[in-house]
Amino acid sequence: MNPYSGPWTAATAAHLLRRTTYGASFAAIQNSVNIGLSATLSQLLTTNIPAEPLAHDPGEQIVSMGQSWVNAVYPSNVNDNQLTEAARKKSLGAWLLQNINAEQLNISQKMIFFWQNHFGLSPSGDSRAMYQFIHLLQQNALGNMKTMIQMVATDPCMLMFLNGSTNTVYSPNENFGRELLELFTIGKGPQLSVGDYSNYTEQDVAAAAKVFTGFKVFGFRSATATQMTSQFMPNLHDNTSKSLSYHFNNQTIAANGAQEHLDFINVIFNQPETAKYLCRKLYRYFVNYDITPVVESTIIQDMAQTLLVNNFEILPVLQELFGSEHFYDISVRGAIIKTPLETIFNMLNCSSSVVNFDLQTTAQMYLYMYSFADQMGQEYGAPPSVAGWTAYYQAPAYYKLWINSTYLKKRFDMALLMTTNGLTINAQNFSLNFLGFLNGLSNPESAPQVIDDISLVYFPKDIDPADKLYLKNLLTGGLPDFEWTLQYNEYLADPTNPVFYNPVVSKVKAVLNTLFRMPQYHVC
Amino acid sequence: MKRRSFLKKSAWASLSLPFVQNGFSMQAVAKELFSVPKSAEDKVLVLIRMNGGNDGLNMVFPRDQYAELLVQRANILVPESSILALTPEVGLHPKMTGLQNLYNQGKLSVLQNVGYPEPNRSHFRSMDIWTTGSLDVNQTSGWLGRYFDANHPNFPDAYPNVDYPDPFAISIGSEVSATCQGLVGNFSHAVNDPFSSSVLPLTPVVNDGTYYGSQIEYISTLINQTNEYGQQINSAAVAGNSLSNLYDPLNPLAVQLKYVAQMISGGLKTKVYILNVGGFDTHDAQVDQTNLTEGTHPDLLKRVSDAINAFQQDLQLLGLEQRVAGMTFSEFGRQIASNGSFGTDHGDAAPLFLFGSCISSGIVGPNPQIPNQVNNQAGVPMQIDFRDVYASLLKDWFEVDPTLIQSLFEQNIQYLDLLQGCTNAVENQMGVGVQRKAIAYPNPSLGAQQLQFWSAGAHYEIFIVNQQGKVEAKIFDAYLNAGQQILSFNLQKLNAGSYYYLLKSAEKQELVAFQKL
Repeated sequence: MNPYSGPWTAATAAHLLRRTTYGASFAAIQNSVNIGLSATLSQLLTTNIPAEPLAHDPGEQIVSMGQSWVNAVYPSNVNDNQLTEAARKKSLGAWLLQNINAEQLNISQKMIFFWQNHFGLSPSGDSRAMYQFIHLLQQNALGNMKTMIQMVATDPCMLMFLNGSTNTVYSPNENFGRELLELFTIGKGPQLSVGDYSNYTEQDVAAAAKVFTGFKVFGFRSATATQMTSQFMPNLHDNTSKSLSYHFNNQTIAANGAQEHLDFINVIFNQPETAKYLCRKLYRYFVNYDITPVVESTIIQDMAQTLLVNNFEILPVLQELFGSEHFYDISVRGAIIKTPLETIFNMLNCSSSVVNFDLQTTAQMYLYMYSFADQMGQEYGAPPSVAGWTAYYQAPAYYKLWINSTYLKKRFDMALLMTTNGLTINAQNFSLNFLGFLNGLSNPESAPQVIDDISLVYFPKDIDPADKLYLKNLLTGGLPDFEWTLQYNEYLADPTNPVFYNPVVSKVKAVLNTLFRMPQYHVC
Repeated sequence: MKRRSFLKKSAWASLSLPFVQNGFSMQAVAKELFSVPKSAEDKVLVLIRMNGGNDGLNMVFPRDQYAELLVQRANILVPESSILALTPEVGLHPKMTGLQNLYNQGKLSVLQNVGYPEPNRSHFRSMDIWTTGSLDVNQTSGWLGRYFDANHPNFPDAYPNVDYPDPFAISIGSEVSATCQGLVGNFSHAVNDPFSSSVLPLTPVVNDGTYYGSQIEYISTLINQTNEYGQQINSAAVAGNSLSNLYDPLNPLAVQLKYVAQMISGGLKTKVYILNVGGFDTHDAQVDQTNLTEGTHPDLLKRVSDAINAFQQDLQLLGLEQRVAGMTFSEFGRQIASNGSFGTDHGDAAPLFLFGSCISSGIVGPNPQIPNQVNNQAGVPMQIDFRDVYASLLKDWFEVDPTLIQSLFEQNIQYLDLLQGCTNAVENQMGVGVQRKAIAYPNPSLGAQQLQFWSAGAHYEIFIVNQQGKVEAKIFDAYLNAGQQILSFNLQKLNAGSYYYLLKSAEKQELVAFQKL
């Protein structure tokens, strides 16, 4: 892959940050320009593990408010047990969004969603287990892809999700084995004949089911166990050797007890197609949906090669991709339609706006946004199916599936909410940090410069001069530019006086009110 | 008018026939079987989703098994005398006087024990199954979405347009319906209140020929579509009418069905309306402990029943009755035995209603068998596959080509004749000279069945043919005068399964599908 050798500008820095985070401020973009591509990548590509979620909902019956519940038992009484789980589910949902709001120029949040989408896992009903699953994604988000698959394979959530926990020698269940091949590792190719999917066959699915027999889960919503666990039960495992199809050179997987599934995953990862399949998913997530024959034979090929050479470590692949000429090619900029969560958190994170009230109010605000994102088609903790969100795999529409008349209305409703009254819960009001955002721009007293800077932050490409003029008129109220300058300087001279700051805030709101509802805002 | 192309007709020659040759001309048979009239374009389907898993056994009662019901669910069971009789064996909840009224008018059909194999008791998964019309976990398109996709593969590109100015489907509420999810777009347009049409701001964009240009152009198209559909809906609602005074303004479903009547009467060409009623997840206190005919679930049933009755009266007064058919559904029924908290837990199959003047009124399928001993967690077993109900609606109501229908569903479709009386009525009214179809009823049947058809004045032979094309029996051989004929047959000796009547005269052959239970 050719490394990027062009100039490192605000536009290239903004593109990189837009694709790898949930929103960078103007200052963060300028900082990236100053420190350069390589230092920016070093900062972005690190693992960031947030603190554990804390109880905020009074339904929680075991731990006190403000305490972590991820290693706490459940009440034995059925009703209290349900109340507690409902409270923990809310806590987990709020925490997921709080992490996004607090990401601090780091790729971790985007990677966790990549994996969340990759495994398509729906909650098991024990939020401790769901936390452990997310935690596993966080720890390995930039780690080794093979290790990630191996760990997820016996994760209690996954065992429950795809019936692994009822997959025994006496009644093999193909659900996990099939998805492992079809969706998680090597991928399904064109059907060559009945039961032959180019990369594997039904024989391999049946063998996979047998390989994974014998794992049981324990501690579901338990009043005694502090965590859900999975355990290998030798007497439930199929101890025959499993024959694979010609796609795997008719290899056999010898009986190897609790380690056998690791042997099988090694075999899958030894197939060259696995690295390519995983790299295509990374490409669709970070670059563009359209894998043309040229992209396949150059970019995907190179990414897969790097993944193989580095024994499935993901970091070198991302470093190469984000440092490549192709990633900064003008043809792929703005090609992605933002996810609902990007749409919401670009509003917050780009303007350095953080929800920060008492524990319960803060959580309720994030939950409000969580449900807003759900109504826009993205419930973070519950992908629509094991295949993940359709936007990443459903040809030919791909990202366009984030948009329909209802989702659009919801996107616009969120834009209106954030640029008018803000969000009020428990008599606390959250509004975007309009003044801070404005003051962080390069020259806030200059109306044209304000619009240029805001455009850099929020649009993936330069917009039409007529559109910029339209936005500028919203800032100046249609008056000559110097009137804005006067207004801004009056505010600077007496910054705590609402007589001066209110008009400035209302003008920035007016600009963002329109900008957040322009089609160009919804792509990145 | 291009709207006619709504019905995609494929060449019948490419059909794969459902059975092999067996001594008679299969070509002629197939032609008759798949010959479809073209009068479906003004028809409207109304779907009412009862969200949460409706307790079917507290809605439609197997009156012949009241004693068994007492064993299973005494703490929630209504008094025997309060049940509204439809037939000696089947009755409705006492709150459902509206639907009893429709049944008595021949405008209600009760489909018993509707579900699917290997039931899933998760609300979400099961509702996905019902909305996609598929048991495949990877199926993401809705059953109606696939149907619309077949004729409008480019949607939403260049929609609305002159030929299709109105939404294909309207989902009342703030969400589009998963039933209408197509490959690219969702064919349903979400409408909260057709009388308030909000307009989204549209800033012009230029497609610069890059991916970016194509994406912002798409978003711009969707903003435009949202606004244009909004205006069409608003105009129709304003132009429309409503004549019934039975709608209760405090009953949300009634208010929404009134909107639907107003949109239809205002000339909106939307084919499908989807409405939602929540609250059916009645794990506890589903009835009032001091009066078992009152409470949460009875109130919900009353709402549904009253609203449909008002809607049907409105359609009649508006002269729209023959254009509209409706169906209720829920993701699953509940368990046969009640729980200790005066509620019921997630179960399996349940009855659903079809309503409308074109519905072949009656009870389809036998009563569920209620065991006389409590078996924890037992649900009602499925007898009618809901996917066959969908397929039959597409075939009989929208008159879709069966080859296309089969391509939309994974199961080997067993058609039910749900709307048999209607096709003729509509055609007669419209004066379309289409050959009137023969019908069998009741269908499915336990034993007695009638075959109604139009004789050309000829000698007829009638055979019962199985799915493989093998003749099981010759049941008629005589001359029949021209005109409508009704023949009664006793099928008790026939094994359960799917069959056809083969009507043969010198002039033509005709097949009529039926099911023996």
